[in-house]
Amino acid sequence: MASSEKGQTVDLASLSIQQLSQVKKQLDDEVQHLTTSYQSLLAAQRKFRECLASIKNGIANSTQDKPLLVPLTASLYVPGTLADTEHVIVDVGTGFYVEKNVKEAGEFYNGKIEEVGGNVKSLEGIVNAKGQNLRVVEEVLRQKMVAANTSSNPAASAS
Amino acid sequence: MATVDQQKQLQTLSDEYQGFQTELQEAISARQKLESQQQENKSVQKEFAKLSDDANIYKLVGPVLLKQETAEAKSTVDGRLEFIEKEIKRIEKHISNIQEKSEDKKMEVSHYL
Repeated sequence: MASSEKGQTVDLASLSIQQLSQVKKQLDDEVQHLTTSYQSLLAAQRKFRECLASIKNGIANSTQDKPLLVPLTASLYVPGTLADTEHVIVDVGTGFYVEKNVKEAGEFYNGKIEEVGGNVKSLEGIVNAKGQNLRVVEEVLRQKMVAANTSSNPAASAS
Repeated sequence: MATVDQQKQLQTLSDEYQGFQTELQEAISARQKLESQQQENKSVQKEFAKLSDDANIYKLVGPVLLKQETAEAKSTVDGRLEFIEKEIKRIEKHISNIQEKSEDKKMEVSHYL
């Protein structure tokens, strides 16, 4: 049984059981790592969506004069009101924050959500492909082990 | 049949090879970190390009947001990007260097076997 991976054609049947185990372990690790990255991307996307939602719901004109509690520290809140419903300050990365109006901020977050969404899709494709390879290797490994067992226990297989 | 001396030599060589492999791993992970910083700074640069000159940009210094001039912030990010690119080139040279040395070691080790 031959399986080609990214230009490297490896005849799995020619590998010893030990080498197959190594390949399987390597694929296992890769899938693990990719799945963790996938989770992180999903979490990031969720955070951006939350930002978008809090802009839409919180900074509407209805909240303008409502009394708010503003956290000064993790355990100290101070009463206040929303001073500006038109502008927000957005974290754009590397320690920079930009003041934007509500519309621009919405566009910014939508852009981020789409970008991360694209990465999520391509990562999903890669994880699935690796999972496929892993299953193929496992199958060949299992067959080899069965073959090794039967060849070393001819009495058992004869019955 | 390898003599004790030869075995010791082999051991030393293969230890050195291991050392190269570890160094290679570290260099590769440093390169990945740089690449992710590069990505982040690129997206900040794009964001700044969209801004008009009177938009307010703030920099996070400790617990405080400090107001910065648009031009200054833009040039800070550009400068950072240049630095990161230089670092990436340097590390890539380092990586191919180590790879070469490690290949040579591998050849040496295989001559002993």
